[in-house]
Amino acid sequence: MSVLVYLEHADGAVDEPSLQAATLARSLAGDHAPQALVASDTVPLGLGGPLPVATVYVAAHEAFGSYAPRAVAEAIVELAERQEATAVVGPGTERGNEVLAHVAAILDLPLAANCIAASTTDDGAEVTRVRWGGSLLEHARIHAPRTLLTVQPHAIPADTDAPAPPAIESFTPSLSAAALARRVVERVGAATGGISLADAKVVVSGGRGAGSAEGFAPVEELAALLGAAVGCSRAVTMAGWRPHTDQVGQTGTKIAPDLYIACGISGATQHMAGCKGAKRILAINSDRDAPILASADYAVIGDMHEILPAISAAIRAAS
Amino acid sequence: MSTALSAVVLLAVVAVAGFLFLRRAHLLYRVVRLGKPAGRTGEVGRRARAEATIVLGQRKLLQRLGPGLMHAFIFWGFLVLFPTIVMAFLAAVDRDWTLSWLGHQGWFFLVVDVFCMLVLVGVAAGFLIRKVQRPARFEGSHLGEADLILGLIALIVTTLLLWHATQIALGLNEWPAGWSPVSNALSGLFGDGDTTEALERVFVWLHVLTILGFLVYLPYSKHLHIATAGINVWFGRTRARGRLEPLDFEVEDEASLRLGSGTLVDMTWKQMLDTMSCTECGRCQDVCPAWATGKALSPKLLIMGLRDRLFAEGPAVLAGGEPTPLVPGAVTDEVVWDCVTCGACVRECPVSIEHVDHIVDLRRQLVMAEARFPAEAEPMLRDVGRSSNPWGKAQSERASWADGLDVRVLEPGDPAPEILYWVGCAASFDERARATARATASLMLKAGLEVAILGPRESCTGDPARRMGDEYTFQTQAQKNVATLDDAGVTRVVTSCPHCFNTLGNEYPDFGGSYEVTHHSELLSELIRDGRLDPPAGIDAITYHDSCYLARHNDVLAAPREIVSRIGRPLEMARSGKRTFCCGAGGAHMWMEERGSAINEARVREAAETGAGTLAVACPFCTMMLDDGVKQSGEELRVADVAVLLAEALDRS
Repeated sequence: MSVLVYLEHADGAVDEPSLQAATLARSLAGDHAPQALVASDTVPLGLGGPLPVATVYVAAHEAFGSYAPRAVAEAIVELAERQEATAVVGPGTERGNEVLAHVAAILDLPLAANCIAASTTDDGAEVTRVRWGGSLLEHARIHAPRTLLTVQPHAIPADTDAPAPPAIESFTPSLSAAALARRVVERVGAATGGISLADAKVVVSGGRGAGSAEGFAPVEELAALLGAAVGCSRAVTMAGWRPHTDQVGQTGTKIAPDLYIACGISGATQHMAGCKGAKRILAINSDRDAPILASADYAVIGDMHEILPAISAAIRAAS
Repeated sequence: MSTALSAVVLLAVVAVAGFLFLRRAHLLYRVVRLGKPAGRTGEVGRRARAEATIVLGQRKLLQRLGPGLMHAFIFWGFLVLFPTIVMAFLAAVDRDWTLSWLGHQGWFFLVVDVFCMLVLVGVAAGFLIRKVQRPARFEGSHLGEADLILGLIALIVTTLLLWHATQIALGLNEWPAGWSPVSNALSGLFGDGDTTEALERVFVWLHVLTILGFLVYLPYSKHLHIATAGINVWFGRTRARGRLEPLDFEVEDEASLRLGSGTLVDMTWKQMLDTMSCTECGRCQDVCPAWATGKALSPKLLIMGLRDRLFAEGPAVLAGGEPTPLVPGAVTDEVVWDCVTCGACVRECPVSIEHVDHIVDLRRQLVMAEARFPAEAEPMLRDVGRSSNPWGKAQSERASWADGLDVRVLEPGDPAPEILYWVGCAASFDERARATARATASLMLKAGLEVAILGPRESCTGDPARRMGDEYTFQTQAQKNVATLDDAGVTRVVTSCPHCFNTLGNEYPDFGGSYEVTHHSELLSELIRDGRLDPPAGIDAITYHDSCYLARHNDVLAAPREIVSRIGRPLEMARSGKRTFCCGAGGAHMWMEERGSAINEARVREAAETGAGTLAVACPFCTMMLDDGVKQSGEELRVADVAVLLAEALDRS
């Protein structure tokens, strides 16, 4: 049983979903630790810390300096065939799913995306995967000479208790011209800069209660102190106080922070659909009957223009 | 000219004019035949009635009295004057020829003179409207063309009067001259000498040649509507204005799968005929909430854009050429997505153009074939299919509005309920709209009715997905819901949502689901009438906002007003009833970002102008949109559903 895991990384730091993918890959690898592939344009790549794999093959190519899904897929296919891998596992991130979809297309094999459990069978594998945005678990059998799957991010814990760091080997994949045609050539940062709304651990948002574009000053002040991203409600973007990129809601950005501070936001259904992933919601609102209070974990009834500066002052005093 | 020579010349002119007309007409006919099937057969009675009222009776035109009368005078005038055309053609050959019986009837010539004057009044009014009044609805129309046509009409009628005048002067009239007040008076201008003899020939020939010129010009101009409008009205919708034509996904081969309108050959023949019937009057543009709030969409310009594309590409396609995409070639993406499907344009149109069907077909192509639509609406489309509601809420929370109320949640296998309360997603999940569900259910209980709901088994009807163009998701939802309702043995449904009301009642029959569907306002007004609910009279001024899908699409006007007038002092907005102005949420706009000024604010300002303190609604989406509009505009109004207001009134008693 030889299992190959595709690991995503940022400058050598393997991300959490990839570690989770490697963890699940072990359940397909039997007694052998899985092998892994990372794609990089810099060799040697300093992979920090232990990983739950035996060997990491660094596919080295200048194309891997940016995101090049088809090229990565060709490298994976080349290594999988060389290692006679019976399974290829990747993280079920947007990019991981895309890369593995390319692998599946090249090999003309089925791909099971977003798995949370897997085991081998006589003619393939049996998997449990997440369907319909988490509302359904599907048990499925894959009949294929080589099992291809991705692992649902943040569904299983990553095992980082590896006995020793893996061996690192590099190889140069032979990539087709077509594979190199599609890659990121330029990155343009969002106009607002700062912390990305979608990934922020803390988000401070203002609603109609902010009163004006200038009314966001205390929101921005608190966000800066907390290292948080600034968001807003649809009413605010409708009024033209903030750009649409700042909108939290079903028609804007969906967020999943540890803490969401919603100031002067009534909590329309379309807004709540965008922040339902928040672990904790603190609502600051002058209206005791605002719908958001039904979903908030903590609430302060009062004017955000008085309460926010007070919180900011308290944080400054404490630090 | 001798009779024989005149006959030869006239026949030659008629032959040339006839050839030019028929050549163009044949081309247009072949273009329309490129169109896809549209049904529209049968129901002859309803079609004849539409023809009688909308065409002959000018019903839609007379919705605007001034311009309506202007048009009616000209239209009725030409109907009456038709025999004089035959008479003129005969007399052009030989001045002594006329129709054997009618040509001698004095009363007919009285009618002719009266209608000639009415046509001239109509033409004068037409010029007055276009040159002096200059209403905004003409923005973007071909104004020069209209001037030419009005001029031609005036020329036809004037030459007729002058011809009759010279006939009387020469004693050629076979009818008593006294019956023709105008022509008789005009005859005083002419002697009985050679000049008049020559003028009589000039006028009759000018009359005949103008008519033939008009005939040739017609099919090349927007005035084509004279030929097409009557046909278009005949093939118009006969019932259920809120119903969209389903797409057939169960086709044998993929090539015959029609996913809305991609190019002109995907349009139905009725849609093609629609574009050829438009006379650019702009009544649709005038009532369009998108246009009124500065958006790109004008229903008139949409139809004109499609027509121009049809005329530009149709002949080439007939010759074997490839048609090009309608969006963005003929219509921009923006225009397609601006529509709220309120149907104001369709209701206003005097020639039965069905603008909303065009829009939905363009959307269907963009959504299902190209996945090209406003990105912010994508979660809604996904959530309708995946979570059974458009906000991705947990279905387990669907019935939580009913906590503490004696509401029966139907489990599979339970006995069939007498009435099923279909709550709808908005009233199930939105905090503001839940008040409507609570009020409706508690009023039903108070009146001694059992309240049964499907709870977590109720699923979005698919309406927002369908109006967005995602017909596939809609049909999946429709099939699922019909199965659930039929399993539960449901025959009678009460719903709080006009969109569910329209979909369940008008659209589910296409998927095998036939239920008697009632809106909660209808049920509640019935309970008041029966004395089972007896609210005290109130004095608060209340203005009621008609939901498009209740009033315009489904004729529910009286029931909510009965409730309002029972519990308060009703005040009507300028635009109400079937001419209501949308709240801005229709056509899936609840889940799209709005460009330009906000429709809901415009409507709230209109409501505030009545001086009422309460804005009553009967739709959970209107509740949300208008409540937002109140907050945005800073008006002092309370937005509440008629059910909520009724429940409060009963609590006070």
